[in-house]
Amino acid sequence: MKILIIEDEKDLQNSMLQFLRQESYICEVAGSQEEADEKIMLYDYDCILLDINLPDGNGLNILKRIKEANKPEGIIIITARDSLDDRVEGLNLGADDYLTKPFHLSELNARVSAVIRRKQFGGSNKLKFHEIVVDLPGKAVTVNDRVVELTRKEYDLLIFLLANKNRVVSKNAIAEHLSGDHAEMLDKFDFLYSHMKNLKRKLAEAGSEDYIKTIYGLGYKFST
Amino acid sequence: MRLLQVSLRSSLLYSLVVVLISIPVSLLSLHKILNDEVDELLAAHTAEFLKHIKTFDYLEDLETDLEVFDQLAYDIDIKPSDGRETGASHYETVSSYDSVAHERRPFRELSSQVIIKEKPYVLTLRMSLVDNDQLMYAIGLVQFALIVLLAGGLLLLNRALSKKLWEPFYKTLSQLKAFQVDKSGTIAVVKTNIIEFNDLNQTVSHLADRNRKVFLHQKEFIENASHELQTPLAVFQAKLDLLMQKPGMSEAEAALITDLEATAQRMARLNKNLLLLSKIDNEQFTGKEEVEVSKLADDLLSNITFTADVENVPISRSLEPLHIHANKALIEILLTNLFHNAVRHTPEGSVQVQLRERTLTVTNNGKPLIMDTKKMFDRFTKESPKTSSTGLGLAIVKRICDTCGYGLSYRYEHGRHVFSVTFH
Repeated sequence: MKILIIEDEKDLQNSMLQFLRQESYICEVAGSQEEADEKIMLYDYDCILLDINLPDGNGLNILKRIKEANKPEGIIIITARDSLDDRVEGLNLGADDYLTKPFHLSELNARVSAVIRRKQFGGSNKLKFHEIVVDLPGKAVTVNDRVVELTRKEYDLLIFLLANKNRVVSKNAIAEHLSGDHAEMLDKFDFLYSHMKNLKRKLAEAGSEDYIKTIYGLGYKFST
Repeated sequence: MRLLQVSLRSSLLYSLVVVLISIPVSLLSLHKILNDEVDELLAAHTAEFLKHIKTFDYLEDLETDLEVFDQLAYDIDIKPSDGRETGASHYETVSSYDSVAHERRPFRELSSQVIIKEKPYVLTLRMSLVDNDQLMYAIGLVQFALIVLLAGGLLLLNRALSKKLWEPFYKTLSQLKAFQVDKSGTIAVVKTNIIEFNDLNQTVSHLADRNRKVFLHQKEFIENASHELQTPLAVFQAKLDLLMQKPGMSEAEAALITDLEATAQRMARLNKNLLLLSKIDNEQFTGKEEVEVSKLADDLLSNITFTADVENVPISRSLEPLHIHANKALIEILLTNLFHNAVRHTPEGSVQVQLRERTLTVTNNGKPLIMDTKKMFDRFTKESPKTSSTGLGLAIVKRICDTCGYGLSYRYEHGRHVFSVTFH
């Protein structure tokens, strides 16, 4: 899997690079429009992370050129501008997703893997982790072919953890992923604990091993 | 009282006093001049008379002739003197019967001692003063007419002037009244011939322009600052995410990172809300469309219900359909903030959302507020010490209502906080 990170802020670029490289992704970076255009022309990527605010112009221009060239890359727009217009314009131009700064790297990772999976597998997209199989288009989870009935939030939680397997995912990141903007209403993580408990129980009942490890004081890690 | 009325009052009062004083002064001085003139004439006539008498010195019976003359002449008396009168001649004004006009009239008399043929006589010449009185009467009339014309003319002139002359002033004034520093629209200068008004207009429009410029800079600064903060916040968050992956971390270290992360999130929220606030101020939410408020509220509440359930806050709703023409994003922010506020400040109890007769009412259980409710819509006014609250939610609600012209009110009744928004 090849990913191109177009981001002019060196610190952020490095952090994204470091985080995504732990996955089996091959990452390249571009700090300007010119550099980005050159790389896009020469190579094919599976996913492009595109910062809209670049020193030499609006990143949406790159998006336009990619779409005009009919390139198949999945594109996630990243911007400091939380402006509806940008979001609408970006999605209209054919971007696959949109992320506003600041964001959790685990959230970015989840979005990247979702875009790549959608691009690569299309309709028959299945996510496997040992005995757990998730049919993404059908939103169905099976453990050793036994169907596990999950609520929407539990399903979202499982996908998020699976996308970030072998990583520590903080409670804050999960809470924000599950409730979006409404996370600011919450003061405690009680809801998270109960969802986590239910998910673990349902997976265990279906015969799955306990892959969800609690990292005390910090969050969770999905690993063998 | 209008400025012109004040100046008119003073000038009118002054001219009245001057005219009133001038009446007796001019009458008296005229009277004096005319009397002097009459006196001179009487003296001249007396001298002339005596000169002529000298030429009749040769007549034997001049004494008898003078007696006859005294009887015949209407305005000359000449009588033999008993010698007791002193020699000086004197003037006096007397009132005597005028046989021509058949009434008593004022006369001026000059009596002098004369010697004719070594015999003393008293010669009295008189002139009627009637013409002088008429003259003074006429003058008085003219003066009175002058007062009336002056006062009336000044009043009329004032009326016409105050409308015309002050027109540019009132125009500028009404523009100043309508001027709002946060709204576009400049003060158009009205060109006039009056230097003072031109001066005023220029100063006013200069001042307004400068105020707006400063205001815009300020607004821009807030937006730029919030915007620029997003990237370092993103870097901070990303580094924390990387740090978390470090194996073998102690629980204390992990708790520290979680706290840092929560703080970073709070900063991000604060920043996001500040940015939002300045965007509303900068009127960046322009596109308007037909918005079905009840549908929007219903969708938002459905999204929130999950999180609210976690906090054990049941939300009940009763929504009547309401179509308004507005910016959908703004209405969404307005509703979300009101709902969040209600859920967040319900320690125990429920949230009720009602939409009826163009008014959205959001109520929730809670203790009465300690803070001044007038300040509750100000920025960074917080009742609860909850760290997740930015203190900007209600300020944003207020700003949106102000921009869109919606009515916003708060009251506390029956142990519930009640927020209502009326969509005019």
